[in-house]
Amino acid sequence: MNQGVRFTRDQNRKNLASWLLTTPALLWLLIFFLIPYLIVIIYSFLTPDIYDVNFEFSLDAYRQALGADYLKTFFLSFRLAVLTTLLCVLLGFPVAYYIARAKDKLKNTLLVFIIIPFWTNLIIRIFSWRIFLAYNGVLNDILIKAGVIGAPLEIMRTDLAVILVMVYVYLPYMILPLYSVLEKLDFTLLQAAMDLGANELKAFFRITLPLAAEGIFAGSLLVFIPALGAYLIPQLVGNQKSLYLGQVITYKIKNIPRNWPMASALSLILLFGVAVLLLLLFALYKRSKARRRV
Amino acid sequence: MEEIKLQNLSKQFDGFTAVDDVSLNIKSGELFSFLGPSGCGKTTLLRMIAGFEIPNNGRILIGNTDITDIPPYKRQVNTIFQNYSLFPHMTLFENVAFGLKIRKTPKPEMNDRVKDMLKLVKMDDQANKYPDQISGGQKQRIAIARALINNPKVLLLDEPLAALDLKLRQHMLIELMNIHDAVGITFIYVTHDQSEAMSISDRVAVMNHGRIIQAGPPDDIYERPNSIFSAYFIGETNLITGEVCDIESEYVQLRCPDGQGSSFEIDSTFHFNPTLGKEITVSLRPEKIAISRSKPRYQDDINMLRGVIEDILYLGSHTQYIVRVGALKFRVFSQHKRVYFDDKALDWEEPVWLFWHDTDTWLIDQIPEEVLSAKEISEGGVNHLSRSAKRQSIT
Repeated sequence: MNQGVRFTRDQNRKNLASWLLTTPALLWLLIFFLIPYLIVIIYSFLTPDIYDVNFEFSLDAYRQALGADYLKTFFLSFRLAVLTTLLCVLLGFPVAYYIARAKDKLKNTLLVFIIIPFWTNLIIRIFSWRIFLAYNGVLNDILIKAGVIGAPLEIMRTDLAVILVMVYVYLPYMILPLYSVLEKLDFTLLQAAMDLGANELKAFFRITLPLAAEGIFAGSLLVFIPALGAYLIPQLVGNQKSLYLGQVITYKIKNIPRNWPMASALSLILLFGVAVLLLLLFALYKRSKARRRV
Repeated sequence: MEEIKLQNLSKQFDGFTAVDDVSLNIKSGELFSFLGPSGCGKTTLLRMIAGFEIPNNGRILIGNTDITDIPPYKRQVNTIFQNYSLFPHMTLFENVAFGLKIRKTPKPEMNDRVKDMLKLVKMDDQANKYPDQISGGQKQRIAIARALINNPKVLLLDEPLAALDLKLRQHMLIELMNIHDAVGITFIYVTHDQSEAMSISDRVAVMNHGRIIQAGPPDDIYERPNSIFSAYFIGETNLITGEVCDIESEYVQLRCPDGQGSSFEIDSTFHFNPTLGKEITVSLRPEKIAISRSKPRYQDDINMLRGVIEDILYLGSHTQYIVRVGALKFRVFSQHKRVYFDDKALDWEEPVWLFWHDTDTWLIDQIPEEVLSAKEISEGGVNHLSRSAKRQSIT
């Protein structure tokens, strides 16, 4: 009895402490996350004005956003996100695998190399790609001098350039989670598989890949979601013929006449799409885990 | 009958010789153990048979097929790994079925065989569990089932019991023997645990520094060690180096280096050519020596020494006495049987008699010196008591 009383008192004290400790963060989220989102939600149901909005309820923004006008935008962004994620998995896996199997000293050096780009400003890195890919840029220079091509290639301001730079920027976000699962992977499992008759390829597909699934999943989320809303990279190395969702949303706010409701609606559709996708993936993931825990 | 032949196998890693010119035939159906301290090359040898290491020299044959250069997945050899290496993302059933699935065995046949195999290892009621839901001993059984289902010609076991606790280890040892009897294929067993190797094996190869020091049935190695290393690595022993001081037809007299001029006899039915004055080393197992406070009745084939008890270690089933005989120390095991001599327990510093039959004084052949490093000779030589005492305290 006595024990029970003391337990609840301790419990209360613990609760109080945890509330006190989490309050600043909760306030922060409320002021800088939830309230802005509420504003966005409210704006998406208003009617546009040249500079601002009219406080009149309307569903026009959603009607238009989900209509044929923006189909291409959604498609382009989705394609970009899928391609970037796929390429990051394909390029990142061997790298992560190699680092995971390297000796400790080399491992740390290589990891630093993966992280170094984060130390340089993103815009600077994108601009160096512009110099590299430009019509009179470094890449064309090298290729011409090497005699591979006769005339410079038009890479800058194409969708190819967007993909290239996207993969470059997001690759570390794929490599690091992949590395963390592959590092924990017990490589004697591969020997066991080979011992049981699986050649290297079969051992990879039946052992390594399923056991790395969590890393692929985490990395894909880290790449796919930001890629879906990409703005900076398409803006700096892409062209104006194929506009991505992030660019369209920005233009709706930047260009006069402004269309706040449209920008808000597009943002919310993007958010909703990502949320649904995430919930689906998590449900799938949970089910595969639950199957294991029966 | 398909013998496994190891012919002049050698393996170097970065200038370090892990396996050094090993030649050996392992009979079909035999349970053969490689026994040695860590780093003696036994695991490398096993991995070469499995195909995970390519020898720098020598051939490996199963029957008449040379498998030296065949990749592991094409060898009819399966391995039980030290930590079992069960696939964590597969059920036990899927784990056992793995080899058959890879070989695209038809499903009905596969299901039947997996079920039979799970039954053999008494795990048929847990087929749908995952490896992290079962105990170490159960993992062990699944690993065995997963290997045996491929009908290998040889099953390799790499310290398979090292991760289990003592009771379970003893239990699994018996089960391993039963499984071996049931399937009748060749088992090659690698361990550093001499009692495991002794109890399970048809034959044992004692290894050190990449070489086989001695190979033979367990009792042969225990009773008739061919080297200081064999004698001291397997079981406990007293190693005494002394000078041959008398040669008779029945026995050879060895001067005991105890500093007080004692001597004892070695039965000369062992074929060796003694020369007067030559230094030889003998091994004398502690359990062969009787200890008594009263002087035993004289018999002409009994060796007797007088000493003082320096230490007593009670070990349950027996007591280990450390008896000082002049400058020498003898270890003596005595079981607690009251029907025998000393009713009253012996005490520290008590003068006692040590006596043993002269056939139990085992002469160790001169072995090539390079097999043992200087450190080991000093530890395993005349009085390697400190090391053995340390080992005692662990067990």
